[in-house]
Amino acid sequence: MHHDFLDRFARLDSPIHRLPAVLKMASALLLVLTVIITPLRIIYPFPAVALFLILIIALSRVPALFFLRRLLLFEPFVVVVAAASLLQPAGGMTCASIIIKSTLSLTTVLLMSNTTPFTEVLGVLRRIHVPPAFLTLLALMYRYIFVLIDEMQRMKRARLSRTFVTRGMRSWRSISMITGQLFLRSTERAERIFAAMSARGWK
Amino acid sequence: MHIPDGFLDTKTIVATSALSLLGVGRALSVLKTRMSSRKVPLMGLAAAFIFVAQMINFPVVGGTSGHFLGAVLVAVLLGPSEGILVMSVVLIVQCFLFADGGVLALGANIFNMGILAALGGYYLYRLAAVLIWSERGKFVAVAFAAWFSTVLAAVCCTGELAWSGTVAWSAGFPAMTGIHILIGIGEALITTLVLAAIYAARPDLVSIGMAPDAGGEARPLRGVLINGSLIIIGLVLFVLPFASHWPDGLEKIASVFGFNSKVLSRPLVSSPLSDYRVPGVGSLPRATALAGIIGAILVFGISFVLAKIVISKPKGRVP
Amino acid sequence: MTTAAVELKNLCFAYPDNRLALQDVSLRVEAGESVGLIGPNGAGKSTLLLHLNGILPETPSEQPSVFIHGVPITKSSLRQVRREVGLLFQDPDDQIFCPTVYEDVAFGPRQFGLPEKDVKDLVKEALLTVGLRGFDMRSPHHLSSGEKQRVCLAGILVSRPKILALDEPTRGLDPRGKRHLLSLLQSISATKIIATHDLELVVELCQRAIVLDEGKVVADGPVLTTLSDEELMLAHGLEKPHILRHSHPH
Repeated sequence: MHHDFLDRFARLDSPIHRLPAVLKMASALLLVLTVIITPLRIIYPFPAVALFLILIIALSRVPALFFLRRLLLFEPFVVVVAAASLLQPAGGMTCASIIIKSTLSLTTVLLMSNTTPFTEVLGVLRRIHVPPAFLTLLALMYRYIFVLIDEMQRMKRARLSRTFVTRGMRSWRSISMITGQLFLRSTERAERIFAAMSARGWK
Repeated sequence: MHIPDGFLDTKTIVATSALSLLGVGRALSVLKTRMSSRKVPLMGLAAAFIFVAQMINFPVVGGTSGHFLGAVLVAVLLGPSEGILVMSVVLIVQCFLFADGGVLALGANIFNMGILAALGGYYLYRLAAVLIWSERGKFVAVAFAAWFSTVLAAVCCTGELAWSGTVAWSAGFPAMTGIHILIGIGEALITTLVLAAIYAARPDLVSIGMAPDAGGEARPLRGVLINGSLIIIGLVLFVLPFASHWPDGLEKIASVFGFNSKVLSRPLVSSPLSDYRVPGVGSLPRATALAGIIGAILVFGISFVLAKIVISKPKGRVP
Repeated sequence: MTTAAVELKNLCFAYPDNRLALQDVSLRVEAGESVGLIGPNGAGKSTLLLHLNGILPETPSEQPSVFIHGVPITKSSLRQVRREVGLLFQDPDDQIFCPTVYEDVAFGPRQFGLPEKDVKDLVKEALLTVGLRGFDMRSPHHLSSGEKQRVCLAGILVSRPKILALDEPTRGLDPRGKRHLLSLLQSISATKIIATHDLELVVELCQRAIVLDEGKVVADGPVLTTLSDEELMLAHGLEKPHILRHSHPH
């Protein structure tokens, strides 16, 4: 699946960005909970949430186009499952429920992650006593995703410069070789990181 | 297979979240007692690796491309508990940063793709590896386990969707699981190829994960029992009630647990798909199940051939 | 004789595949000295540096060969040694492992259990020293090589080490980056041991040069005489740096 560059809007400046992370996370969670738990026949919360989200998006200076594009990416899956649900007796309601709820939740989470730097999210998690080992994993993973993506890019370009076959078993083999290489480099890098961490007193 | 928010109902969310918390919590505590701190950067980087690897396009027909989950790869290389943690971290970051998978659905996604896929795949691999002794045989076992992990995760995912009343089992099972029987082949292929590439350069890395005592648990049997229970509870909750189409024995078990299969089969009856009968076999779900079993045997066979093509004897390669 | 800052007594080290990396290395570095550790690739320079704060050997030996301010490096003295010796690794990406600059520089002090208020002040000071004021919230991925290098340095300087061990500090830096680094290092009074291929850096910064080849010390003397010895330099995969080829009035 194609991913946009991770959280490039997370460090913009806007009234929303300046809000404390814990507030944004709690609100996002509350919004999603409301949307999910409320049955669709109680119609009024849904437009209210939608309007609220539109307002926040406007204030946040994150381009609306970004949200639209991400929604479009996920919509096929949603539409397919929604269509499948139509096969049931009360299908229409289920179908509408799926589409509305997933769209609203998705937008909420996307909004939250694009107005809150990941490090602040980790900070909040630390305060609610998520096990430190787990947090270290999250932090390390986040830090090195970009590094690995770069490495992958370089290997991909090197491969493309010498490749004339872009499909079939041969390309799967070479892509897998590069993937294997990436893993190896990652383990070696992990060793060096461990040395660097130990050098600075980590236990 | 990342389930977005809005697809699962409250009871499914609660059940899956509870199971995931148990599974992840347990993996953490196992690692805390036995893990050297050296493994932390390794797992962090493995998670980044899986994240990036899941983004890679493996070209299939036309403009489409396949992708890869990597749960079994990680579990085999690093160990089962490590595999759970790595996959959970990947899923959490994907959820928060991309909304790839819903926030409330995290429990389900972690259970399916983290715990079931990693653990289920790993145990099947260990089982298969016991039966096939050779070095090459281990790759066959991995390929099969990778395929199996994909199908298992898909089956449970379908169950969760059906339990939530979102998609009828008779429609979901053939569609989702059916597709994943095919996707699983890709997973098997990629996992084996990648593992082979790693093996070619560093056979020692692959052997460590494949060692009989990998997993770092002080009491492995207890670990298997606890992990196994998690898997079984999940399957009982999400899959068993729907499998009541199958042999009557299972239907009896389902009713013991209080699942009135008649209630659940009401939507199934009125779904046009459930009337579809595959000639000579029966309902679509039954046909899918049969396809699954045949597929499993086929994949196992293919894995043998694959292993022969892909793995060259390591003897001449050690520097 | 005063206690040396760093002393190696017959240090030997072999990698798991039995490759002998260091053979009977003995040397003394006095407090405040700046020593350039030079030699061809594979000579063992990085390996030697990794011994200075106990990263190698992986299990501390019964009879330690490395002494920091007179203290042998043993399992119990590791923590103390790591406070006193700041090690800069070759690849900044291996060393900056936290998601923001602030977090990364704060890592060391936090590990030593300092209260957050003190940590904040120390980080601020360290970033100021390396010229990266205001970089706190930056993500390491978006920094240039030079900036990353300085973040690494800040992460070490924050613990106020008395000894700095640097592995190829100018690798990947553009001329401006090199100049910055050079003036920065010149302003720090700690004992410096610098493993590098950058002979111009050695000439500008160090008073003493140690030549390592195949795990053995083959030369140890004042920078100018050692680096001007063409025969010696060529014999060990090096060459006389240009800066010494043309006579300088100063």
